[in-house]
Amino acid sequence: MIRFDDVSKRYPGGHEALKLVSFDMGRGEMVFLTGRSGAGKSTLLKLLMLSEPLNQGQILVGGRNIHRLPANKIPYYRRRIGVVFQDHQLLFDRSVYDNVALPLQIDGYDKHEAARRVRAALDKVGLLSKEKLNPMTLSGGEQQRIGIARAVVNRPQILLADEPTGNLDPQLAAEIMALFEQFNQIGVSMLIASHDLSLITRLRHRILTLEHGQLIRDEHHPSRSGASPG
Amino acid sequence: MNRPANTKGARRERDRRIRINAWASNHRDCALDTIRRMLAQPVATAMTLAVIGIALLLPALLYVAGSNLGQFTDRLEATNRLTVYLAPDISEQSISEVREALDSSELVSSLQFISSEQAAEDFARWSGLGDVLDSLADNPLPAAFVVQPSSADAGALSSLQELLNGLAGVDLIQVDQRWLERLAGISRLIDRTVMTLVVILAFAVLFITGNSIRTLIANRQAEIRVMDLMGATRGYMARPFLYMGIWYGLFGGLMAWLLLQGMLLFLTEPATALLVSYGPQYQLVGLGGTGAAVLLLGSAGLGWLGAKLAVSRHLRALTRS
Ligand SMILES: Nc1ncnc2c1ncn2[C@@H]1O[C@H](COP(=O)(O)OP(=O)(O)OP(=O)(O)O)[C@@H](O)[C@H]1O
Ligand SMILES: [Mg+2]
Repeated sequence: MIRFDDVSKRYPGGHEALKLVSFDMGRGEMVFLTGRSGAGKSTLLKLLMLSEPLNQGQILVGGRNIHRLPANKIPYYRRRIGVVFQDHQLLFDRSVYDNVALPLQIDGYDKHEAARRVRAALDKVGLLSKEKLNPMTLSGGEQQRIGIARAVVNRPQILLADEPTGNLDPQLAAEIMALFEQFNQIGVSMLIASHDLSLITRLRHRILTLEHGQLIRDEHHPSRSGASPG
Repeated sequence: MNRPANTKGARRERDRRIRINAWASNHRDCALDTIRRMLAQPVATAMTLAVIGIALLLPALLYVAGSNLGQFTDRLEATNRLTVYLAPDISEQSISEVREALDSSELVSSLQFISSEQAAEDFARWSGLGDVLDSLADNPLPAAFVVQPSSADAGALSSLQELLNGLAGVDLIQVDQRWLERLAGISRLIDRTVMTLVVILAFAVLFITGNSIRTLIANRQAEIRVMDLMGATRGYMARPFLYMGIWYGLFGGLMAWLLLQGMLLFLTEPATALLVSYGPQYQLVGLGGTGAAVLLLGSAGLGWLGAKLAVSRHLRALTRS
């Protein structure tokens, strides 16, 4: 489903955020991406959602080199991908409901169908009662969950999440991860960046580890006791 | 065997209809939402509309002035008459000679004599200065022939002029056309000025809307970035701004029209008095239905174009870094 071939990314300042990263992830797989702050996790996700250009290598999604997509195809590619941003990227000029409805509006959904899906997504993240509020008035964890609802509302084939549990207490973090596992079970491919190692090792999914922009470990179903190089 | 294909086709048809409905309702939402946004910032909106309105008022006003003058010049073709004024002390004998000379010339198609008494009467009637004439001992107005040339051809006219110059008792040959020609010249001048102003002020309207739209885009940067990442097309992101441009243009044009109507109302009384003194067929004309439609459609189109230019420059800068 997603394949990185020797991908390198250098930011305009000269900082090399990713160096020759290669990996392959199958359809319906759930993969965690970890590493210390500044390792390049967000950069890797940004390359996947085409919000940054890459300098070397190629990224194939569903067999297509996404950085070669013509400009008029990019919106349709992005609609197939749900993204939970590290910094939420919520809009504070509209209600929680309207934030979550945005991807459906963009995709031209009928209003009734959109309403049904928005409510279902808000219900899943436990925020149905707050749909009319402005996200500004909600807590960091609640804002994060709005971002999650927005990312899944359009039933994407691929879900990218950047620190989706960063602001959540352990209990809520575990619930959100369980929710992600549910999505994964209905066939959604998931790539989740997180440095909450204790949480992600417990979940027994594949873990990619970045260090200074390099992919240093790729562990499949690591055991609870420790990492076994895969 | 056929059934699954059919239901699939039916579903696709239904999806297509839903999509078209959603597209149409997005247009409607954009149109209404932009009006709501304009009303939410009444001062800024009013200032932009006023600037556009004033910019459009100028050419509209000149256009109206031109069409009022046009009432006179439109009659130019019909009236290429000459008035031949006779010397004040001319004898009946000489008048007959002039009349015969003109009657027999094939250059003249018709001839009308205006005696000096009749001239005085006419003058008193249309000027209202009868008392002034009465107070004079002698009637100062000369007798005249109004000559309709048989041909408007320049050669024919100059031979006619020669013939008239050769006649005894002819004092002054006045081409009636002359003041109309001057008027036509002024009218052409106004037409050109209107055209130039329309071009210049069209640019002004483009800049004004473009600049307002640029500010709006800057205010909605966050929204545009997020929509871009969610897979919004350029067209979708541009739509509200294009509607904004159309509204700016349309309401700015309406503002210009209202200002123009106000001015015309204010000018009606003196302008009508002036025009009627030239004859009852002359009246103050306004922009008219077609003129108003051109003004409104033109300004809406300019607003749209200004927005389009601003959007294509600034959206590109915000999306797909
Ligand atoms: N827009 C940018 N311009 C220049 N350098 C950048 C930019 N974005 C990120 N970087 C640099 O690239 C490196 C990787 O950044 P990235 O955001 O991918 O790290 P991360 O693994 O997501 O870290 P964190 O866990 O703190 O979110 C960092 O050193 C960062 O300073
Ligand atoms: Mg990050």
